[in-house]
Amino acid sequence: MKRVILYFFLVAVSGVISCDKKLDLKNPQSIDASDAFSTGDKLKKVLIGNYASLGSSSLFGGDVLWMSELMASNGELNWVGTFQEPRQIWSKLILTNNGYAASTYSQAYYVIYNSNNIIANINVVETSEQAEVAAEAKFLRAMAYFELIKYFGEKPYFAGNASSLKGVPLITSPGPAAPQDAYYLLPRASVEDVYQQIIADLKDAEVNLPATNDFYANKPSASLALARVYLQQEKFAEARDAANRCISVASTNGFSLVNNYADAFNNDVNTTEDLFAMQVTDQAGSNSCFTFFSTFTYGARNGDIEVTDVHYNKYNVSDARRGLFFSENGAWHCGKWRDIYKNVKVMRLAEAYLTRAECNVRLSTSIGDTPDNDVNKIRSRAGLPGLAGATLNQILNERELELAFEGQGLWDAKRLRQNIDGKTWDDNKLTFPIPLRERNINPSLEQNPGYN
Amino acid sequence: MRIVTLFLLAGMLLSLSKGWSQTKTVTGKVTDGSGTPIAGVSVLIKGTSIGMVTGSDGTYSLILPKGLTSLIFSSIGYEDQEVDVTSSPLNISLSHTTKSLNEVIVTGYGTQVKREVTSVISRVKGSDVQNMPVADLSQTLQGRAAGVFVEARSGKIGEEIKIRIRGTSSINGSNEPLYVVDGVPLVGGLYGTATSDINFDDIESFDILKDASAAAIYGSRAANGVILITTKRGKAGKTKFTVSSQYGIQNPTHKRGFLSAAEYIDLYREAATNTAKYHYNRGGNWMGFSSEADAIANMIRWIEGRFTRYSGYSDWRKVQTNTNWEDLAFNDNARLGNIEISAQGGTEKNKFYLSAGYSNQDGILIANNFKRYSLRFNMDNQVNNWLKLGLNMGLGKTVRQRVADDNEFSSPIEMVALAPITPPRDQNGEYYTTPTTTYYSALNELDNAENHAKSYRNQGNIYAESRLTNGLILRNELGLDLVNQSDERFWGSRTEWGAGTGGFAWAQWFRNTRWVTNNFLNYVTEIKSKHKIDATLGMSFENRYDEYAYVQGENFADESIRTLAGAGKITGGSSTHEENNLVSYFARVNYGFNMKYLLSLNARMDGYSGLGSNYKYGTFPSVSAGWIMSDENFMQNIKWLSFLKLRASYGTVGNNTGVGFYDSKAQYGSVRYGSSGAGLGITNFANDDLRWEKVTTADIGFEFGLLKNRIVGEFSWYNKKTTDMLLQVPTPSPSGTTSILANIGQMGNKGIEVSLTSTNISTRDFKWTTNFNIAKNKNEVLKLDGEQKEILPSNVRYTNAIIVGKPFGVFYSVKYAGVDPDNGDPIYYMQDGKTTTNVYGDAGKFIIGDPNPDWIGGISNRISWKGFELNILFQGVFGNQVSDAGGIFYSANCDWFDNQTRDQLKRWQKKGDKTDVPELRINRWGDFESPSMSSRYVYDASYVRLKDLTFAYNLPSTLTKKIKLSNARLYISGVNLLTITRYPGWDPEVNTDTNSSNLRQGLDFYAAPQIKSIVFGLSIGL
Repeated sequence: MKRVILYFFLVAVSGVISCDKKLDLKNPQSIDASDAFSTGDKLKKVLIGNYASLGSSSLFGGDVLWMSELMASNGELNWVGTFQEPRQIWSKLILTNNGYAASTYSQAYYVIYNSNNIIANINVVETSEQAEVAAEAKFLRAMAYFELIKYFGEKPYFAGNASSLKGVPLITSPGPAAPQDAYYLLPRASVEDVYQQIIADLKDAEVNLPATNDFYANKPSASLALARVYLQQEKFAEARDAANRCISVASTNGFSLVNNYADAFNNDVNTTEDLFAMQVTDQAGSNSCFTFFSTFTYGARNGDIEVTDVHYNKYNVSDARRGLFFSENGAWHCGKWRDIYKNVKVMRLAEAYLTRAECNVRLSTSIGDTPDNDVNKIRSRAGLPGLAGATLNQILNERELELAFEGQGLWDAKRLRQNIDGKTWDDNKLTFPIPLRERNINPSLEQNPGYN
Repeated sequence: MRIVTLFLLAGMLLSLSKGWSQTKTVTGKVTDGSGTPIAGVSVLIKGTSIGMVTGSDGTYSLILPKGLTSLIFSSIGYEDQEVDVTSSPLNISLSHTTKSLNEVIVTGYGTQVKREVTSVISRVKGSDVQNMPVADLSQTLQGRAAGVFVEARSGKIGEEIKIRIRGTSSINGSNEPLYVVDGVPLVGGLYGTATSDINFDDIESFDILKDASAAAIYGSRAANGVILITTKRGKAGKTKFTVSSQYGIQNPTHKRGFLSAAEYIDLYREAATNTAKYHYNRGGNWMGFSSEADAIANMIRWIEGRFTRYSGYSDWRKVQTNTNWEDLAFNDNARLGNIEISAQGGTEKNKFYLSAGYSNQDGILIANNFKRYSLRFNMDNQVNNWLKLGLNMGLGKTVRQRVADDNEFSSPIEMVALAPITPPRDQNGEYYTTPTTTYYSALNELDNAENHAKSYRNQGNIYAESRLTNGLILRNELGLDLVNQSDERFWGSRTEWGAGTGGFAWAQWFRNTRWVTNNFLNYVTEIKSKHKIDATLGMSFENRYDEYAYVQGENFADESIRTLAGAGKITGGSSTHEENNLVSYFARVNYGFNMKYLLSLNARMDGYSGLGSNYKYGTFPSVSAGWIMSDENFMQNIKWLSFLKLRASYGTVGNNTGVGFYDSKAQYGSVRYGSSGAGLGITNFANDDLRWEKVTTADIGFEFGLLKNRIVGEFSWYNKKTTDMLLQVPTPSPSGTTSILANIGQMGNKGIEVSLTSTNISTRDFKWTTNFNIAKNKNEVLKLDGEQKEILPSNVRYTNAIIVGKPFGVFYSVKYAGVDPDNGDPIYYMQDGKTTTNVYGDAGKFIIGDPNPDWIGGISNRISWKGFELNILFQGVFGNQVSDAGGIFYSANCDWFDNQTRDQLKRWQKKGDKTDVPELRINRWGDFESPSMSSRYVYDASYVRLKDLTFAYNLPSTLTKKIKLSNARLYISGVNLLTITRYPGWDPEVNTDTNSSNLRQGLDFYAAPQIKSIVFGLSIGL
């Protein structure tokens, strides 16, 4: 009997020894990386994943919108929340370890990483679809680079000498598998080079994207993105033409301004006016504009960003856009971001009309339509009387009110050479510092002037 | 009712025992082992205070009263002896006290006599800790074992307890010891510690394996030491019942104190005026005020508007409200109670131990509670002369009513931020919330939210022990640790999280199943009574399977329906499962020559599924040797030295907890986008070289006994070095990720440990023993990825850094230079350490504190006089700092509307004022920097604490016999009654649960103070 037990024990031991495969277990929640680019279908899933990456709160899930507005506050917005890092952005006293700046920087490169992989593996997609799938990846990459260059570039493009201004590291194809590889210790490319990359990607996207594409990137959104880039370069003719292409493709493919201004916001499904919006549901996506602009009543933090009378009083009393503000805690709050789980508007058709109008006036042209017609489309929807012979200032004023707090604040203020809270447009403190963590790893990354 | 039954039962048993019926004289002589008479031995008739002391010839004579039959002999340096008087004369031989040396120590897959142990093992007896009114058994070890650092994060009850044995050895892996209960490793769950599921009245002993030689038998999981928990087992004999119960109250160790309403109004008005002046004169006046007076008027209007908003219905101008929000965070005299019943006994063939326990403890924080229900059944059956079978089975349920993390406004302590001018409730009796309260008031959670977590644990094993030949024993164990946890939460629409969603609920379930089988042979033999060999060879296989599911929903039809069944909309859900396997082989040989020269070899080989393909198996060897010098002839003349053993050990153990189940493979997981988009995204980057961390320890020490072992002690010096330490190596963002896990770092811990036990007085009635332990540990980060010398804090609040050559987690931030006496600005040191600046961003960065203690220790005194007993345990931690990250809000010279700590009254007010508190300014316009983390908020957190004070009375057996009990004990006991510290915050024993990690230590952020409790208890035996 004792012997039997001993044998039993020995058999049990050897039984386990032979089970080496017990040490090779597979994660039930994921697939191997090599598998992710093995077929076109899987690659397209990675592309969808990259939209979610672009919609991270650190990028177009809100941060790049409210950070621009907060920095451009000029007495029209107050940060009253407890978080100190947004406060730094608002007061333009940003420390190099600011977490929002660091996350935006990293997240943008994550989008770029994914796009680079998609583009490099595009051969697994059916030939007929390759150009379009690659165009989507390029659109996402351009969107990420554009935010990077605006926030972290040494000076705006229009400051001149873009070839000698420090931009951000440029990477357009997959590098070594090991992320710690020295290959990734890239120096800053020039502002010019980064803009060239963005323009090349957006041009490709504009050509190859379909006119409509559910809530994914489409032709008119690529055109409008291009128009934004040209505005930063102060290339008004190119901006005008891109805006014009945007409007003509959009209006022949079912896009149009919604009738009521308020209906353009707080939607969980894109409106006819939304050329591109980050999708937010109660289960996916995030909207940090809601988090900070809205109030406790609607499930947000408690109105961390307040709108002051200085801004509120800029609207005519009968302006529908004024009616969108709501008052709580004794302050105004921006109603565009009032409700929970709503899409983050990235590009609305209204902007294209305003860009075309502005450029036409600047260039004394009427490509597409007259500036009056374009601007009055916007005004009449807001319940305001039409303008005749609209001046540049009138159009810019309309642009400011129409697009208020949608993320264009800082970029428009800078290119229009406006002072912000006593600082001139080219003040060092109106640019973000290169994040401390990046410079700790990569000493070849030079810091922006005004920071150490 | 149960107690009455027990009484009756006891009465029956007692009536069966026979007693003597006449008085009797008993005489005799007491000698030592060599026949020499011992004078001064106390001879006591058991159950009475009648006794005498032996004369110089060692003789005694006593008259035994009717019915009493036992004598107790005791003398310093000798073992007590209890003898039943059967005849007279009764001569007694007392043996020298070597009790602690002959103790049997549990070593993992075996046992060993303390005297022969060549590794470092600390033992804490269950009986020493079982009446402590704390929730988690690991808390009871605080101050009791040398080099074992125990810290409760805060006074929240039932939450994680941190234990560090000989310092921190890992950055990304766990630093907690491995707990093994009766041979089965304990696993954690979603929350709390596994140890909180165990009723510590059931524990016989804790054996803490500290050095590599002791721990190597647990291989790749032993790097942080191993705590072996042995539960109580039955002894043959009459069935003994024990009933014990305690009730008590608890309060916070300390309240911090905030501004009163009148002070708040004064200070914020002052801040408003200062801010206006600053804006007008120094801030550029971009608001365009026409004069300083204009600016002041504007600010005062604004701040008074805020006062009005924050005062609700009451009038702040009349100071109608003065709310102490700090007081509202706490329960006054929170209650605790518990009751345990156990029975043990059996025959030589069948022995059993049964117990049931119930514990119910309210937290000191409002809406915080911990309950534990436990059952245990341990059984041994001697089948025949070679086979023994047994069972250990513990069943437990814990129920926690939890509070939110420290950084949530819904955490009660966060209410200190609210203005004292705000009434807690409106005139309808509803709790105020924003905008009347400055921030969300946690009181709204009381009726409108739920946070319940339940944990069920089924832990135990069955075994068969076969004596195959003489000295050869095979033991087979099959064990299971099954943990089921659920966590259900609800937030009504009045709460912070439920607002905007019509009520929000969340439920998660977690199940962790660990099967383990241990099979090992043990062979003991003696050759020519010179060579003693004790060898163990075995294998083990473990499978761990984790399952997790959650669902969330919102928009509740009626807020009294708070389960997800009441949700109008399900807004999320997921389920996952994962598993790992561990295959192990282990061996140990203990060899003793003449029982003076001792050697021990240990090794374990572990194969672990979670590791990279290049490193599936690891081997962890160790060696130790000892020399019992006091047994050598040349030592025999040193009379005062009764025992001396030198020992040394060296070995390597591992830590595999830093690698997740599947971390070594590059993987893509699913990503949701939009209403239906299912995408893929990279979730992990590949690393085939991922492996366990290695900890190599050298240990040299000695054990000694002085004055006939009246004083026994131990000394150890160790040098512990972690290599292949896992690090999240930061990577440049263009690589696609911001960090990658790699086995690249090194860390060192060096230290000494001293423990002493002294029998100061031991007379018939009066006994006094002292236990003392102290340990010093010095931690040093030795290497990061080679080129990199530091990983600096990226977080602005929590500034722990990893810097080569410095202790792990030092605070690295700006050094505060106080206040500029000219203008009241806060100033900071520049990098030169001499000049100062008022621009925070320009200031230098320095090491401004260290969360690692230098010394930890404890001293306990146990004094008994007749039936009275007094136990006093002091515990101390020395040389560490705490960074009070909440200071940037509540000790912030009125930077925002958060109520301020009272030290802010010392603010700078006029030119020439010398103070550390800057001019009060409220940051309305962003003209100046708000306070950021600096040495201003870093404090010395050394403390000495009266950890345990127990005063007990054991009823004399003459009395207990009358009421038919075998013993009865009444006691009053206090935990944390006194804390001596210079830390100005709530409590120096703190580590906020917000983003807590190995690195984020020594941080305070609205963490609750520790619990101070007083309990009354009663324990009776039948």
